[in-house]
Amino acid sequence: MAPSLFSQLSTLGACLALLYGLLLLWRRNLGSYVDAFQGQSVVLAVLFGVVGYFGHDPELYFVATVFVALKVFLMPYYLRRMQDRFAVERERDPYLNVPASLILAGLLVILAYAVMRPVVTISSLPTRSGLPLALALVFIGLLVILTRKKAFTQVVGFLILENGITLLALLGTYGIPLIVELGVFLDALMGFLVMQIFIYQLHGTFESIDVDQLNQLRH
Amino acid sequence: MIDTLFIGMILAYGFGASAALVFGRGSIGRWLVAVGSVLGAGAGLAIGIAVIAAGTPVEASIPGLFSFAGGLLVRLDSLGAFFLILIGLGAIPTALYGASYSKTYEDGRGSLRQLGLMLNLFLFSMSLVVMAGNIFTFLFAWECMSLTSYFLVITEANEPETLGAGSWYLAMAHISLVFLTILFLLLSGGDWSASFNSLRSGAAVLSSPLRNVLFVLALIGFGLKAGIVPLHVWLPLAHPVAPSHVSALMSGVLIKMGIYGLLRVVLDLLGGGPAWWGGVVLGVGSVSAVLGVLYALMEHDLKRLLAFHSVENIGIILIGIGAGLIFRSYGLITLALLGFIGGLYHTLNHAVFKGLLFLGAGSVLHATHTRNVEKMGGLIKSMPWTAFFFLIGAAAISALPPLNGFVSEWLVFQALLGGFQIPKPEMAIIMPLAVGMLALTSGLAAACFVKAFGITFLAIPRSPEAEQAHESSWSMRLGMGMFAVLCVALGVLPFAVVPQLSRVMTGLGGLPASPAAFSFNLTLQSPAAFGQMSPPIIALGLVVILGLIPVGMRIFRINQKRRVSATWACGQISQTPRMEYTATAFAEPLRRVFAQLFRPTKELSIDFHPDSKYFVQSIEYRSEILPWFERFLYRPLLEMFHFSARQVRRLQSGSLHLYLLYTSLALVLLLVVARWIK
Amino acid sequence: MMSFLLEIGQGLLALALAPGLVGFVRWIKARLQARRGAVPWQPYFELAKLFGKDVVISSNASWLFRAAPYIIFGSTLAVACLVPTIFAPLPGDGVGDLLAVVYLLLLGTFFLALAGLDPGTAFGGMGSSREMTIAAIAEPTIALAIFGLALGAGSTNLGRIVTNTLANPILALSPGYLLAFAALFIVTLAETGRLPVDNPSTHLELTMIHEAMILEYSGRYLALIEWAAGLKLLIFFSLLANLFVPQGLATTLTPTSLLMAGFIFIGKLAFLGVVTAVLETRVAKLRLFRVPELLSVSFVLALLSVISSFLLR
Repeated sequence: MAPSLFSQLSTLGACLALLYGLLLLWRRNLGSYVDAFQGQSVVLAVLFGVVGYFGHDPELYFVATVFVALKVFLMPYYLRRMQDRFAVERERDPYLNVPASLILAGLLVILAYAVMRPVVTISSLPTRSGLPLALALVFIGLLVILTRKKAFTQVVGFLILENGITLLALLGTYGIPLIVELGVFLDALMGFLVMQIFIYQLHGTFESIDVDQLNQLRH
Repeated sequence: MIDTLFIGMILAYGFGASAALVFGRGSIGRWLVAVGSVLGAGAGLAIGIAVIAAGTPVEASIPGLFSFAGGLLVRLDSLGAFFLILIGLGAIPTALYGASYSKTYEDGRGSLRQLGLMLNLFLFSMSLVVMAGNIFTFLFAWECMSLTSYFLVITEANEPETLGAGSWYLAMAHISLVFLTILFLLLSGGDWSASFNSLRSGAAVLSSPLRNVLFVLALIGFGLKAGIVPLHVWLPLAHPVAPSHVSALMSGVLIKMGIYGLLRVVLDLLGGGPAWWGGVVLGVGSVSAVLGVLYALMEHDLKRLLAFHSVENIGIILIGIGAGLIFRSYGLITLALLGFIGGLYHTLNHAVFKGLLFLGAGSVLHATHTRNVEKMGGLIKSMPWTAFFFLIGAAAISALPPLNGFVSEWLVFQALLGGFQIPKPEMAIIMPLAVGMLALTSGLAAACFVKAFGITFLAIPRSPEAEQAHESSWSMRLGMGMFAVLCVALGVLPFAVVPQLSRVMTGLGGLPASPAAFSFNLTLQSPAAFGQMSPPIIALGLVVILGLIPVGMRIFRINQKRRVSATWACGQISQTPRMEYTATAFAEPLRRVFAQLFRPTKELSIDFHPDSKYFVQSIEYRSEILPWFERFLYRPLLEMFHFSARQVRRLQSGSLHLYLLYTSLALVLLLVVARWIK
Repeated sequence: MMSFLLEIGQGLLALALAPGLVGFVRWIKARLQARRGAVPWQPYFELAKLFGKDVVISSNASWLFRAAPYIIFGSTLAVACLVPTIFAPLPGDGVGDLLAVVYLLLLGTFFLALAGLDPGTAFGGMGSSREMTIAAIAEPTIALAIFGLALGAGSTNLGRIVTNTLANPILALSPGYLLAFAALFIVTLAETGRLPVDNPSTHLELTMIHEAMILEYSGRYLALIEWAAGLKLLIFFSLLANLFVPQGLATTLTPTSLLMAGFIFIGKLAFLGVVTAVLETRVAKLRLFRVPELLSVSFVLALLSVISSFLLR
């Protein structure tokens, strides 16, 4: 059965978003993380537009615009400002080394497929083949938060996780109602600002944004 | 005719064993032992071929012997015949090699009488294992096999590590026997005299949980012998300390008895099972393959390296068998057959190339008196034949075309690639993972053998022992040469072998016979012509091209002059052995890549000059890789045993009165129990 | 008979084009780096020069050192005869499938690594060690990419993959194929010794991998090995081009279709050459211990490709 153009595009978009997420597990310097997040957000915004077009839901165009404003311009701007201050830091020695993280990410994709299988078989939406990839993106965001040492990376990981949930909502239900979407954006923005403050404080106390330094508070 | 061959086999082995006892030291004894083994193995080979050609099983029994356990029953079907052929092909070159190799024991380092006697008994008991037709014969032969091989392993009993390795081997062989005893007990429902035929028909009505338990018991019991991870620890201990031709036999033939047992019980007697059985076998096989080759990479003892590679190849065989079991449970019979054939072909190939490699290692050990690769080098010039045969073995085990390793790995790959036909995606997804792991092992094996061959044979000798090396005697070369010829033949003529393997699997566990399904003219092809390949044409093409290149160069008048001079090495003045790459250095990048798996321990101690800390007097660096099954599985187990043994020792106070008290108490207790419990 | 000759002819055509491809990539790189660069057909002159020189061998080397160039060249040429360059499906399609191709290339790598160890220099040992590490880690990616391709195309035989892809061109846009292409492209860079894995034009021994193994070779031996390396690059490019975008391959044996196919093939090679040159100019060489990370990325891509082909059937 030949997949429709809508289906192909949504799967391709989800795939691209996942690949940007993998970039966080591969690269070591903080600037590339911001680039990855930005690229992923662009893909997501385009996907919002595509779903809005094929799903005949003009509300989604508005959501896409807010998305672009927030996640392609505002948040990366703040992230880059932070990164300029901490540019010397790199993810040198994560808890799980790069090849192992990548292989684990591959296995997590398989897990996502296994978990999502009942949903995909039952669903009749054209976007259903992208659902496992969105869930995999959530897993990968979680993996980044768990295995990386720098607070900056963890923040970007959290943002990726959030993107994954948004993607899941988009593909699974053609986007959630506008009011809920705006609420989620506000939430994310608040959380992001709090984390920003946290990182600046961390750097002020320890001269480094290595989260492991928090262990020193014990003594 | 088969009866005469069988009697001939018994006589030949008996002759070899008695020749060992009678003639003892001296070349006549060694040669008669070898002749006995060769004739016995040859008879076995002939029996095997005859049975496969005939297609019907052969039975013989001596009910009078051991009648309390159902008598000695011999039943040889195609599966057993295949393994009998394997024993024969493995034993003949090895025995010839051993005739000259065991000359080193004439100075008393090891008992030649014991070696010769046990060798013949070992070969005979292995043959009996595959010919066993009832429980008792099987277990009896299994135990004889373990005992005789134990004595073979501890031949060089004066070496420090030998006895320890022998104890490990004996302990694990007996644990395997315990598991197998429980297995057969449960399978036969307590009937000790049951024959395999009755077991087969009885197994059909066994309940499902019981069958699962039986499967696990079989996997552990036979896996201990085959050497799957984590039950493999005896392999790298026992194989290096045994005499080299014994190591070749153990690695090539003995561990295959585990595979035989697994096939016999799981596929034949139990008739196959649910898909998770195959999944477990596949998983265990993949893990063994990858871990085996990773630990092999880090070894510098040539024979330990080869022993770890045996673990790897058993893993590959189990990948094929596991795939076959999975396909069988889903009714994909042709693919199942392909998986089993791939596994069996690899069994045969491994026996041949591992035998070759161990014999080569034995020649090197014989010539340089060391197993440490770091002390060798330059042997290709002093031992050209050994080097050439070892190279063929190394190329074969790295699955390079057109040799035999490539053919069996191709078959296993094709079986795994058919995995997309499995209806359940959760099960089907392990096939690509297995493909990835299989490819990783073959790449790592190639890297390991570049290291093993390159450091041992190439460049310049790294120690005085390597400088004085000499070529092995003609019979050692003959043994290696026979294996090398087999490597090439099995690689170039698979279209003749695969149909026979198809017949071997006939009727087992519901597999039908379809001899021509996997080969067509000179090519091998997988079902629905998914993949097709012709090794003889590839070999021919390679030979023709290699022959035409010099011709072409002469036609184009290319400069043919050649001068020998000092090594350039970017302008170095002189070249000493210290400048060569070492084996540790060669494996270093891979060690770093897999560091989280190996977890090497590092110790660095720097001695500074007493007057100033800016001057370093000496640096000591020590790094060790301890496999973590040893650290987390075996050490705690051994600690537990020691602890409980210490507790039990409290009972031994040394007081005679206390011991008498124990005995009387036991007697009273027995009487009470017998009187009041009817 | 005619088709058999055609098969050999394809291999010889690949052999003839290989130095040109290497020179072309070098020339584009030079232009991108604002240099004039040598002419694209410079490697032909280099080969001719090397064939004219005497061979000087280290006194430590053995017969393996002398035999290795022939084995490397021979196995690569054998692969070139099996890979579709201008015509598919080949009559000899049943001789070797993708797995056979991969292992024949491994045969060449095996002997090259041994030849690096033979003279007993530290450079050769280092090159061999690094080369075998990279080859070993690239193997699972290649196997999975083959799996992904074979799943989509229904066979591991090259000719059949080509015919099936020609029959349904939409296959080429499925995520399975695209991810497999990306994975194979990274593997191509690793196996043929291109940046960011290995710098083919470096003269610093510590940054060499391929160059370090052939440091001791000279004269006709070096010519054979360099030619084989160029041929390997062409083979990988042919696989990338003709398995994923087989449009343009001749399916009939007429002279016009063969000629057209020849030009289209050269065009595809040139395109891939330009892409490679641009990539090589943009990225820096990776530290050796970062290469497994790159190869893990390609492994995950191949795994994703297989999963999407598998589970979206």
